[in-house]
This record gives sequence, C-alpha cells and structure tokens, in this order.
Amino acid sequence: MKPLNVLIISLLCAAMAFTVPASAGPADIAVVSSSLDPSVLMKGDTGTLTVTIQNTGAETVAIRSARLYGSGVVPLSEPYPSVGEIGTGNSKTFTFSVRADGGEGTFYPTFVLDFRDGGGSLRYPVPIQVVDTPLSASVIQKPDAFAESRTADITVRVGNPRPNAASGVQVIPQGSGFTVTPTGGFIGALAPDASGTVTFNLTPTAETDVTFQVVWRNGINTHTADLVLPVAFGEDKKQADPVITNVEVTPIAGGYRIVGDVMNAGLESARSVIISPGAPATAIDPFRVYVVGTLDPDDISSFEVTFRADANTTEIPVVVEYRDNDGNRYTASTPIGLGGMTAAPIEGSEDGGFPVAGLLVVVLVALGVAGAIYYSWKRA
Amino acid sequence: MDTGFLRVLLDPGRFFEARMQEEPSLKVPALIAIVIGLIGAVSTIPMTDLTMAMLPAEMQGLGLLMTVISAGVAFIGGFLAWAIYGVVFHIVSLIFKGQGSLERTMEFTGYGLLPQIFGGIIGTYFSYRLLSGLSIPSMTSPEQMVEFSENLVAVLTTSPLAQIAGLVSILFLVWSANIWIFGMKHARGLSTRDAVLTVGIPMGLYILYMLITLTGWL
Repeated sequence: MKPLNVLIISLLCAAMAFTVPASAGPADIAVVSSSLDPSVLMKGDTGTLTVTIQNTGAETVAIRSARLYGSGVVPLSEPYPSVGEIGTGNSKTFTFSVRADGGEGTFYPTFVLDFRDGGGSLRYPVPIQVVDTPLSASVIQKPDAFAESRTADITVRVGNPRPNAASGVQVIPQGSGFTVTPTGGFIGALAPDASGTVTFNLTPTAETDVTFQVVWRNGINTHTADLVLPVAFGEDKKQADPVITNVEVTPIAGGYRIVGDVMNAGLESARSVIISPGAPATAIDPFRVYVVGTLDPDDISSFEVTFRADANTTEIPVVVEYRDNDGNRYTASTPIGLGGMTAAPIEGSEDGGFPVAGLLVVVLVALGVAGAIYYSWKRA
Repeated sequence: MDTGFLRVLLDPGRFFEARMQEEPSLKVPALIAIVIGLIGAVSTIPMTDLTMAMLPAEMQGLGLLMTVISAGVAFIGGFLAWAIYGVVFHIVSLIFKGQGSLERTMEFTGYGLLPQIFGGIIGTYFSYRLLSGLSIPSMTSPEQMVEFSENLVAVLTTSPLAQIAGLVSILFLVWSANIWIFGMKHARGLSTRDAVLTVGIPMGLYILYMLITLTGWL
C-alpha cells in the first residue's frame, strides 16, 4: 500500500473516532421501575404513575423527550419535551398523572423515550390495574324490632374486598326521622381483606330508611357506598309486657276502688311502673296513682287505684306506664268493667276526702253536748 | 227559769226532782216519741226514692207499698226505742235494787229521748245529702238490682257523710244517756253511782257497737 493511502485511511479513522457520539443508542437505557399511586385504580380514578430509567451503559445518553400514551388509562399531564443527557450509571424519574377512563382490567399505557441524533426510541408498556369493586358494608347487629323513640344499637361492619388498601374510611348515617349518636364513625385505613366496625345509637321518631354511607379514599379519589337499613316499627319480642290480673272493683263513697295485681310477662324489666285510672275516670284520693317501681320478668305486684266515674260509665281503662332500660316510656291499657252500680260523687267530697262542713257540724254538736252535760252536772 | 219540759236538756236533775212530786204522765214522752217517729218516717223518703228508682215501671205500685211500710216501721221505731230503753234500764236497775214503778221509768226514759229529735233532724239531713248524691243506673233484671243493693251498702258504709251522721247520732245518744242517768236516779231511787252504771252499761255497749260498725271493724 502506498503511504498516501495509508494516511487517508488513518485520517478517516481518526475522523470517525471523533464524530461518533458516546451515547450510542437505547440499548444502554433501561426502565428499572414503575409505580402507581394508588396501586389499583377504580373507574374514573386519577393516579400518579412514576417511571424510573437508568443508564446502564458506559457512555452518556442524550434523550430528547419522554411521553406516555395509551387507551383505557390515559395520561393527563404533558409529556417531557426536553429531557437531556443521562450520565453513565445515573437514573431519572418521570411522573405522569393518569386517569382510568376505560372499564375494569389491566391496561398497558406505553412509556416512550425518544433519543437524540436518530438514536431511535425506547417503548415500555406499563401495566396498570383497574378494579371497580367498592368497599362492602353490612349491618351485623340491630334489634328485632324498632319502636318509636326507643334507642337501638346498630353495628355496621365495613370490609375491604379490594386488592389495595383503602384510606380514610368513614361511615355516616344519613336520612330523616331519627337521631343518631355518634353522627359519624371513623374507621381509618383498611388493608385488603380487612374490616372495621362502627356502632351507632339510633333513635327513630318515625318509620324511615336510614342510609349508612361508607366514604373512603383510593389515593386522592373519594368514593362512597350506601347501605340502606329500613326502620319499620314492630313489637319487640323481648320487651316488658305488664299484665293486669286478679282485679276487684269495689264501690266506695264518691267513686270506686280497683285492687289487682300487675305482672311482667315480658323478657325485659319494666322500670318506673305507674298505674293510674284512665279517662273517662277521674282519679281521686287516696290512690290517684300507684307507683309499683321496677318489675323484673315474671315479677308480680299488687296495686290499688281510686277514681270517680260518671253514672253512665260501665268500663274504664287502667293505664300502666313504664320505661325500658333506655328510659323510653311505654303505656299499656287494660279495660276494667265497673258492673251495674254507678256511684256519683257526693257533694262536698268530690275528691273522696272527708267533708269539712260535716266535720264542723260534728265539732259543734260535740261542744254543745259536752256543754249541756257539764251544765247538768254543775246544776246537780 | 222554768222552760217546761225542755229544761230536761240542761238541768235534768232538778227537772226530774220536780217531776217526782207529780203523778207519772206519759203524755209528753209519748209526744216526744211521736216526733222522733215522724222524723224517722221522713228520713226514709230519700231511701224510698232510691228504691223506687231501682224498680221497673210495672213495679212502681210495689214501691209505693214499700214506702208506706218503711215510713210506718220508722214511725213505730220511735216508740219501740222508747220501750226498749225503758225496759232495759228498769231491768238493769233491779240489779242495784232500784225501787219505783215501770211507768215512772218509762216517763223519764221518754223525756231522755228529747235530744234524739235534734239528732234525728241532723241525721235526716245527712241521709238526704248522702243518698241524693247517688245516681241510679237503669236496671232490668233482679240480678242487677241485687248487685246494686250490695254496692249501695258498700258505698253507704264507706261514705264520710255516713260516718259523720253516725258520730252525730252517738253524740246525741250520749246526751240522752246523761239525762237518763238523772232520770234513773230519781225514778228508781238509785245512788248517782248506781244510776251511772244502770245507764252506762247498756248504753256503753250500744255505743261501742255503733263505733265498731262505723269504723267497719265488723
């Protein structure tokens, strides 16, 4: 070979050595990790996708842009138009906001890196899971029957059947026709397949539907699920049941006296039991009301009430008032026949008491007789 | 001051002492018994009205008959009480060796009934107040009438007015007993102690019975 040719070839080699870039291509760039917050999206959820790349080669790599595209899960944020160079061994993180616009399933939006100087591009499909299963709520404790103004304990259990954790879980009773304590229950974070319970003291004032709204967050997305509990009034199978028996009606001056027994035939205690004659009867002394107190199940107590009734009254109700353990008031009424005799009130003693005028007559007569006797013996 | 036989109310000792100077006479005592009987007859009117109201229309005639009989019995009751008191006192005074005729005993016993006139008037008033305060339900069967009668007895025995009437009767009976003590002292020639025992024993027992009945112990 001629020396000239050897020189030319050497110059060309030297020129080539200076013109070929160090970042030779995408082979040295690798996606080392990707993560999504929250880890599993629900339909319509917005999440944050983080993709980390690393230069594993021996040379610096120049990157022109980074972007994300796909369907089902779409990017909301703008692409990275100018990334720059990544030195050897360095890594870089790209963050994208994404939204699950499609249905349930696993979607693969593509992360694309475009290299400079015609170095081509890197495409990396990122798997994103979309599961639309909500938290589940159920009533695990409630009374057999509701009663007006009677406080009932309602326990709601919230479970997390989702593959990822739910945060900020709350249960909020909603609706009208009741009062509830507390007005909301906080459970907090629920791991997958975990559950939490909340107990409410519910006092209905009318038949209604109580909606227990479960509120939770999946990442930054708030979700709700409703649990409806119908509140219909009925008879509590365990409630106290005062029964009046062994009744004896006796006419007295100005009215009647009823003597009888009251027994608690229910399964719960009847507290503050008070017995009184109901309308059309008018209670009179000495027993306008009879306070029995607490009647435990199967307990029995005697009672006595006195009252006045009109001539045409043949039957009056005997009213039993009592309270349950929560202080709710109940009344039970038992009709009692008065028989054929009706005694109208006596003038001057309408309340069944001793006539004052009559007593005065007795005192005056007694004084007169005593005076006469004293005088007669004095004269003798 | 001589106020006739009314003096026996306040000064029975001197009244009977004066009467002992005269022959026994039952005219005034009989008049007193008649007045007591009349008051007793009048006192049956409210009860008779009550009975008439109980009876159905076709039995009103029977009710009228019952009214006449009740009034008659009540009228005779004045004389009957006079006779019973007099005989009892006469017999009891025999225990204390009392001396004197039965006629004199009856005369003085009759005078002693005078306070019963006032007691009868007041008792009749209370009886009217008590019975007029009751209303009568319409009854169609004898069973209902029996039930009503039983209940009526319960009402009358527990009524404060009935108790007041009873107390007033006892008070006037005590007054009569006081007069009878002086009467028996003079009529039967007893000492004061024996006269007190003669009248006090039967009257005490009777008043005790009335009190027991009044308080419902029987």
